[in-house]
Amino acid sequence: MEKRLIKKDALTGIIGKIAQEAVVFAPVKVEDNVLFKALEKGEEPFLTYANSKNAPKNHFFPRSEVMLRYTRTAKGVEFAGGQKEAEATVLFGVRPCDARSFVLLDLLFDQEKYKDPYYIDKRQKATIVALACVHPPYATCFCTSVDGHPLSADGADVLLTDLGEEFLAEFVTPKGEKLLKYFGDVKADAAAEAKKEAVAEQAAKEIKSHIPAREVKPIMDANFDSPFWNTIHQKCIACGTCTYLCPTCHCFDITDEMKRDDGRRLRNWDSCMYPMFTKETSGHNPRPTQRERWRQRAMHKFSYYPENFNAIACVGCGRCVMYCPVNLDIRKIVTDISKL
Amino acid sequence: MENIEKKLREEAKRLLEEKRVDALVGFEAGTLPLTATPCFITSPEEADRLVWNAFCSQNLAKYVHDLISQHHNSQKRVKPEDRKKKVVGVVARGCTTRSIVLHLQERQYGRDEVTIIGVPCEGYVDRKALTAALDGADIREGSLTGDRLDILTAEGKKEIPLQDVLADNCRTCRFNNPIIHDVMIGEPAPAMPGAVQEYAEVEEFEKLSTEERWRYFTKEMSKCIRCYACRQACPSCYCPTCFVEQTQPQWVGLGEDATDTQVFQLMRLFHMVGRCVDCGSCVSVCPMGVDLRKFLKKLDKDVFDFFGNRAGVSLDDPPPLSTFKEDDKEDFIYNP
Repeated sequence: MEKRLIKKDALTGIIGKIAQEAVVFAPVKVEDNVLFKALEKGEEPFLTYANSKNAPKNHFFPRSEVMLRYTRTAKGVEFAGGQKEAEATVLFGVRPCDARSFVLLDLLFDQEKYKDPYYIDKRQKATIVALACVHPPYATCFCTSVDGHPLSADGADVLLTDLGEEFLAEFVTPKGEKLLKYFGDVKADAAAEAKKEAVAEQAAKEIKSHIPAREVKPIMDANFDSPFWNTIHQKCIACGTCTYLCPTCHCFDITDEMKRDDGRRLRNWDSCMYPMFTKETSGHNPRPTQRERWRQRAMHKFSYYPENFNAIACVGCGRCVMYCPVNLDIRKIVTDISKL
Repeated sequence: MENIEKKLREEAKRLLEEKRVDALVGFEAGTLPLTATPCFITSPEEADRLVWNAFCSQNLAKYVHDLISQHHNSQKRVKPEDRKKKVVGVVARGCTTRSIVLHLQERQYGRDEVTIIGVPCEGYVDRKALTAALDGADIREGSLTGDRLDILTAEGKKEIPLQDVLADNCRTCRFNNPIIHDVMIGEPAPAMPGAVQEYAEVEEFEKLSTEERWRYFTKEMSKCIRCYACRQACPSCYCPTCFVEQTQPQWVGLGEDATDTQVFQLMRLFHMVGRCVDCGSCVSVCPMGVDLRKFLKKLDKDVFDFFGNRAGVSLDDPPPLSTFKEDDKEDFIYNP
């Protein structure tokens, strides 16, 4: 693996150079929000960010995308493709938790049985430059409880680690190595690697929030009808904030929109928190109340995903914990389940 | 405040022991520093969980409506003589009681189905303003002493005056004490000094040109991610099926088309005319920081200017858009 050292103040320049040849997504401060978005010409990323409010998954799995277009003609319906092909992109400054979300989403969207062309096209053309959390930014961070680490390179093509005076850049994959030319030619020495080891150990220690995420699956499976589910959802207002900010939530709904003879088929984000999510044409709803919906959200992340893909569908970023309007804390739910 | 909390717990315990309420909605301490979260209590032992402080932000009338309508629905197929009554207790400040008044005026439930534990209010902390005041730094620990917030962030200690981070709607609140109540805890709170400038921000906004106002509207709405947290938190938004969720026909597209989002927000805003109690719940729950209040407050001002009405401030003053007077100066009702 190639490893380089770069001066700290060189980073913005490097991003600028990459941006001349590829679309760069990076954290940007927009009013009071830090958003992960495409840099516009001359726009500089916000590099002192904690993490972005929206998850970088939005680039691969946008809130709304066109799957196909069609036109009604005298000869019948004519079909055309949906989105134009993806451009080469670089996602810069992805936090290790969010980079791990791509690994988890790949399991679903790019599996042997089903291939999602919309996701895969964008994913293959994107290079992920992750920025390690030398000091985990939030008290709500719990990546180490869900198989992550603040310095993990899982899902990243390049991992940047702040070593104080300089950044250590590790080119984890061949895709990442294509960016080598931007990073100068100061090779990292053993001292830098040792420093990184120390930083990694310290960073993991700084994570104070721990949940028994790996232990709850059998308990959940045995307690599907437990009265526990009767009360946890009570304060949930059934908005979609947790699912829409989540880096691993990936449920969508497909709708057709027509204007005169022109139509398009869209896939839009959907949320298991919404009553409409499972409502059937007959009017029947197999998840009639928020009780079943909350159980589904918890089970999907900590039981069904592990069952299907041997991985917990949570990266411990803490967004749902921080931004839930009513402080319905998934960490508490998982912890409470473990005590059932 | 501590004294109020103590009395609140005693009162809640008494109401539950005497079975005067079946369930009680209040606040308990949240899992994050400087937060409180809605809680539901059904036994007297749980009353000690209750808190009342400047971090209680939600308008709990939403839950009152939810609980009572769920109960009404559950009784629909029960023989009239076998139907059970359910009484929901609620810890309520001024705006919460305004929402309850509105629910009562709109015949959502009976006065005997809700027991109001009135609490004085001097405003709640706007979490987004607090985050902005800390320049985005993560709050590790925090406490409120008098009017001062002592906060420990990853970057160090910081003191913030409570006044600086109060929600805008609280700063200019005219009705910070309960309008109606069954039990009142503590003395009424003093009037909020900002109340006299209630419409100052709206007046500034009104001075802008139509184009400038539209530009502001479209800019704000472009932040919206259609999570519907605003609607879900709003006590006045209680339609069993919102028009955006109707599918036969489908009124609004679900994609990212800016006009679809604007239509959702515009329709919600217009359904709030004369029905918004300025509790700030929609603003406080919005994950993206959309300035919804600017538009709601403008509608509120219009209703006050035209009809002299403020939503939910008196049981005797019905919402202007759901009533009519024979001597109305506009005669369109006779000659449509």
